[in-house]
Amino acid sequence: MKKTLLASTMVAAAALAAPAIAETLKIGLATAQTGGLAGYDGPVIEGLHIAVDEINAAGGINGNIMIELIEKDVRSDPAQTAIAVQELADEGVSVIVLPCDADPSLAAIGTVSSAQIPAISTCASSPTLPMIGGDFMFANFPGDNVQATVSAEWAWGEGHKSAYIIYSPDSQYTTMPLYFADVFTALGGEMLGEDTHSIGQQDFSAIATRIAALDPQPDVIMTSSYEPDFPSMLKALRAAGVTAQMIGSDGIDSPTTFSLGDVGEGVVFTTAGHATEGSPLAEFNAKYEAATGNPSETVFNAVGYDLVIVVAEAVKAAGGSTDPVAIRNAMAELENVRGATSLITYKGTNGMPVREVTLIRVNGGERELVGQPSPTAELIPAPRMQ
Amino acid sequence: MDLLLQQTVNAFALGGTYALLALGLAVVFSIMGLINFAHGELMTISGYTLMYCGIAGISFLLAVPVAIAVAMIAAVLMERIAFRPVRNSSAATMLVTSFAVSMILQVLFQNFISTRSQPVILPQVLSDSITLGGLVIGLNKIAAIVATVVMLVFLDIFMKRQKTGIAMRAAAEDFNVARLMGIRANTVIAGAFALSGMLAGVAAVLWVSQRSSVDPHMGFLPVVKAFIAAILGGLGSLRGAVAGGFLLGFIEIYLAAFLPPEMQEFREPIGLSIVVVVLLFRPNGLIPAASLKSEKV
Repeated sequence: MKKTLLASTMVAAAALAAPAIAETLKIGLATAQTGGLAGYDGPVIEGLHIAVDEINAAGGINGNIMIELIEKDVRSDPAQTAIAVQELADEGVSVIVLPCDADPSLAAIGTVSSAQIPAISTCASSPTLPMIGGDFMFANFPGDNVQATVSAEWAWGEGHKSAYIIYSPDSQYTTMPLYFADVFTALGGEMLGEDTHSIGQQDFSAIATRIAALDPQPDVIMTSSYEPDFPSMLKALRAAGVTAQMIGSDGIDSPTTFSLGDVGEGVVFTTAGHATEGSPLAEFNAKYEAATGNPSETVFNAVGYDLVIVVAEAVKAAGGSTDPVAIRNAMAELENVRGATSLITYKGTNGMPVREVTLIRVNGGERELVGQPSPTAELIPAPRMQ
Repeated sequence: MDLLLQQTVNAFALGGTYALLALGLAVVFSIMGLINFAHGELMTISGYTLMYCGIAGISFLLAVPVAIAVAMIAAVLMERIAFRPVRNSSAATMLVTSFAVSMILQVLFQNFISTRSQPVILPQVLSDSITLGGLVIGLNKIAAIVATVVMLVFLDIFMKRQKTGIAMRAAAEDFNVARLMGIRANTVIAGAFALSGMLAGVAAVLWVSQRSSVDPHMGFLPVVKAFIAAILGGLGSLRGAVAGGFLLGFIEIYLAAFLPPEMQEFREPIGLSIVVVVLLFRPNGLIPAASLKSEKV
């Protein structure tokens, strides 16, 4: 017995000694594998795995730092997120990945700040997250205020003069229409009113009937509600006879939006990217199909890929260090990192990256690129807590 | 005036769907004393059946009866596998079992189908609307109202004329005496589950035809609404479930329609407060179950 113990200790020691040449970067994933956010975190994590496999197959970051993932399910629950993040911090990870919503991600602030480990949310887009989250909190998606500025400027440019917003106070993300209203008013547009709903609300007929009774009718209706609310809302509005231009956001970048038939036609929404021929996103989609056997259904796959690219670039910029603080400092200075969806810049921001925003229109059940305009910087509203 | 009428039509459509959901819970509760929180997952199963039928190119008209039938089969299986072994246990055991069934099914949907919402292909006609005497009524609203009426008439005939229906009513009033009269417990309970599966299936078709997609958690919210409606109407009473469903639908729609804009954010708490007030005056619900007598739930 003693001999076996001794032998195994020696083997272990040898194994430990070996990685002195090939280092390991531990990334802890505290994301939602189950629960309401799983539909968003799931695709991001798929894309993240593709990037990690690609980097590790090439010998690691800088050719010698292999990436190791430690995955925990937070069940879309803030309390569970806080626990998982604590466990990951105890395991000594260098980077933590948080769920796709600002609210559970915010639950991790205490741990990531005191343990001084940089944390990135998979796809939360509320600009309040890094604002409240402090130096170690980063986002990985175009901000809500930036998306709303892009869509408001587009609507104004199309000659729409009046708007109506429908939002939900239930989460940071679903209050994006308030940013839209700010920008649209600043441009000279008129807000005809607003309605609120709760997330998961099945019935929008009361709201639709009220909007249909408005005279004059609004030119555009903006919402950042997503499935299952968005299709119900859109159908209720159209059934009530409302013909206003609908504007949505990245949450509806999903197959359902394109399968709504006539009702969905003409809907315009902002999202993280568009795969034009030969673009990095098209290249990523090819990789995704090769790796999984299925075509990528959503841009969130590529967003996950980008997350690993950002971390890898930060490690490179930190001179190959796996020290969390060094990675954090390097990440905050990253500029024009080429991701699959966009060029990504953290330099000069508080952790909310500058990324391209893409406008997509539903046309014949297919995605049509409307444009990838840069928003006017002065118009972008300051982040605010709802 | 037009606006009020229009909103009333909306309230009937939503209330009807809630009534079907609450009935599904009440049918099982009246016989077994079990609140089946996995009722929502029966809806999800129906929803996925509609989705797969759409992918397979089966027409929606055919997919609807298939989806309802699948929900019935699933309900009967659920009883066989999960609830029969705990049938004589305490109400708490059965309640926890139903939560477990619900969670297990959700995880199975996530792992074997998809974590993401899946689109359900619906016929265009469901998105259209017609103008009737100055009112614009969506065809899916009309479908909801018609389906509710048909189901209520069917249930009424089934419970009054059919042998199984009469046995179920007897069992609801006093299961032990009903058994002494030679009514088979297994048949009655399986029948109740099949009926609740059918109600879940119909409700699922109506629910999905509004939201156009199905995800693993789709059943959670409707079962909560159904629970509120069933309590409001009187737990275990079928007429009560229908009354509770319609009342909940009317409360929700009228609040959404006529509450001043600055109060809209508090719509749900106000709605639930109204439910509480109703229960203060009628603690056993609007139409209490006969078996409940003066006992409080």
